[in-house]
Amino acid sequence: MSDDTIFDVQNVTLRFGGVVSLNDVSLHQNRGEILAVIGPNGAGKTSLFNSLTGVYQPQEGTITFKGRDGKSMEIIGRKPHRVSNAGVARTFQASRMFSAMTTFENVKIGAEDHHGIGAIGAMLRGPATRRGEHESDERTIELLDFVGLRERANVISSSLSYGDRRRLEIARGLATDPQVLLLDEPAAGTNPAEKIQLTSLIRRVRDEMGVSILLIEHDMKLIMALAERLYVLNFGSVIATGTPDEIRSNPAVVDAYLGTSADAAKGA
Amino acid sequence: MMEKLRSSAMVKRLFSSFAVVAVLCVMTGPPGSTATPMAGITGSFTAPASFFGLFRGQRWMVFFVIALVFFGVWTLWLKRGTQIKGAVSKTMAQPKEVLERRPVRIGVYAVFLLIALVLPHVVTDPFWQDAMVEQILVFVLLALGLNVVVGFAGLLDLGFVAFYAIGAYATAWVTGALPLPPPFGIHLDSFAAIPVAIILAMVSGVILGTPTLRLRGDYLAIVTLGFGEIIFIFANNLTGITGGAAGTNAIPHYHFHISSLNVIWGLGPVPYYYLTLAFVIVFLIIFSLLNHSRIGRSWTAIREDEVAAESVGINPLKYKVMAFAIGAASAGFAGSLTASQITYVSPSIFTVQFSINILVLVIFGGMGSITGVVVGAIIIQTISMFLIHTPPAGFQTQDLYIYIGALLMVMMIFRPSGLIPSKRRKREIRLSEAGEGHMDEVLTGDTP
Repeated sequence: MSDDTIFDVQNVTLRFGGVVSLNDVSLHQNRGEILAVIGPNGAGKTSLFNSLTGVYQPQEGTITFKGRDGKSMEIIGRKPHRVSNAGVARTFQASRMFSAMTTFENVKIGAEDHHGIGAIGAMLRGPATRRGEHESDERTIELLDFVGLRERANVISSSLSYGDRRRLEIARGLATDPQVLLLDEPAAGTNPAEKIQLTSLIRRVRDEMGVSILLIEHDMKLIMALAERLYVLNFGSVIATGTPDEIRSNPAVVDAYLGTSADAAKGA
Repeated sequence: MMEKLRSSAMVKRLFSSFAVVAVLCVMTGPPGSTATPMAGITGSFTAPASFFGLFRGQRWMVFFVIALVFFGVWTLWLKRGTQIKGAVSKTMAQPKEVLERRPVRIGVYAVFLLIALVLPHVVTDPFWQDAMVEQILVFVLLALGLNVVVGFAGLLDLGFVAFYAIGAYATAWVTGALPLPPPFGIHLDSFAAIPVAIILAMVSGVILGTPTLRLRGDYLAIVTLGFGEIIFIFANNLTGITGGAAGTNAIPHYHFHISSLNVIWGLGPVPYYYLTLAFVIVFLIIFSLLNHSRIGRSWTAIREDEVAAESVGINPLKYKVMAFAIGAASAGFAGSLTASQITYVSPSIFTVQFSINILVLVIFGGMGSITGVVVGAIIIQTISMFLIHTPPAGFQTQDLYIYIGALLMVMMIFRPSGLIPSKRRKREIRLSEAGEGHMDEVLTGDTP
């Protein structure tokens, strides 16, 4: 594992009973890289995400994450909240906000320090609690500014548009001060104008905040505009890897997407 | 033709109306027995101390009229229900906006506090003075505690009485009232017993919570129900430790003596009233601060979407155990308070019905809303006490929970989020009705 690697996935296999969801998957991500994982529906992309964030526990293989202090950590076997605390943030395919809370509260939850107990302090609203509240408030406002949701801060999050929900999820993920942000189909359900905004937002997250990006996406235009490197999954296995240009001309990829090989490849 | 008529919704509703009124008859009639199983129905028409006994003469007529009126209201509600609801919420919205202004709210609190302070001097009936402490304020305290578990953290606890019992028995233990000798042979006074009761209840909350809070919804409810029963049976059967079914008395009243200053609670309910009121106010303030803190927000997040909450670094188990422990601690405290006031404990107090009763207070008042829970507890307990103290014609004490249950059902139909709902809870209910919430979905994505 080289110094600038952030994620190193080695031979991961994930099974649900007899169904193999991920089959001997290996991939790695460099620090500061925008990496994309593509593949047809059911290829195992979200399973991969869930494995990377501790939601699923693969039976075989290792997933090593290198945190901000340069210490390596094994993801498999850790609970999702521990993975989050280590510096891995994510968004969900079907956006999962805390829908009865305001935009502001959603982000603030991410910004808060969830270590320790602090119940007595919270009951008495001691100085440490008040200081913590103040810090989270400031960080929340900063992030809402960053994603452009400041004016929508006091809106109940379920009344936000799809595009705004995506941005809210990104802000909430960033609030946890991550090293890497995992985006699960961020452009799903957004309109073309929102897609353009989203593309530039994702790039700014990497450029201005130095957060590495790992994304799953179906929208090829967005992938080609953003990703520096791609992995292609099909039936739970990595079938190709490379730059967007290499992938575009890879016959195996075309085959996976379009079903038949020669004729369709010509058409594409 | 007949078939068609029978299946029509209108006819079904008509029959249901008659059925409901018939049930009302049975409820208000004299209790039946195996020898006279129909006594409930026939008695409700003949016995003077029943609902229909009130209307002498044409009782059958009254039965039909009431059934038809019920049917009429029901039909009207189905046809115009949404409009009525809208009109009601419109008229309710106006005063609510005014109430939300800060000076107005502080003023309202001050008025309530003032009323609470002068109440024992206005209400001098000894029954009510006792009831205000034992049946109202203590229940407010318990409802506040259960609200942390059910309302804030969203965990259904059907065995809350267990912690109340632990608090009461712990007090009896350390003050030397149990057959089991107190630790190190030191008899503590009742004030010193409070922290012991709180800590023991809290520890048992953590011990019960840590393995069981991994369970979801219904399973947790069953486990807590079982725990409540275990504690009840322990208290009842471990005669050598708890005093068995007879329980124990001689728990000392609260008292303190500083040089020449001697204060003893126990000469009447009024001193206890003020003591309990003070504790209620303290609990109100700390739970309200808790709800608006990082911890309160984390509870809301877990309740709404546990997977998303974990993804921002919240450990759901930790926060659930915390809610459980805080709820248990306040129940233990209430138990200690009760034990010192009534000076005895016996297992007959700590029944499942007691747990359900507190849960009803929380649900009726509005889960997650501190004001709602307090108001709900006061209203329901006052109604209960009123029915017991001055029973109207046809009311039997053992029927109390039928009426409370009916009240709760009506409440759930018209205001499913409770009397004074918490804003967040109300939104959650509305969103899940609209199919927007995903409170119970476990995982998302293209699982194979």
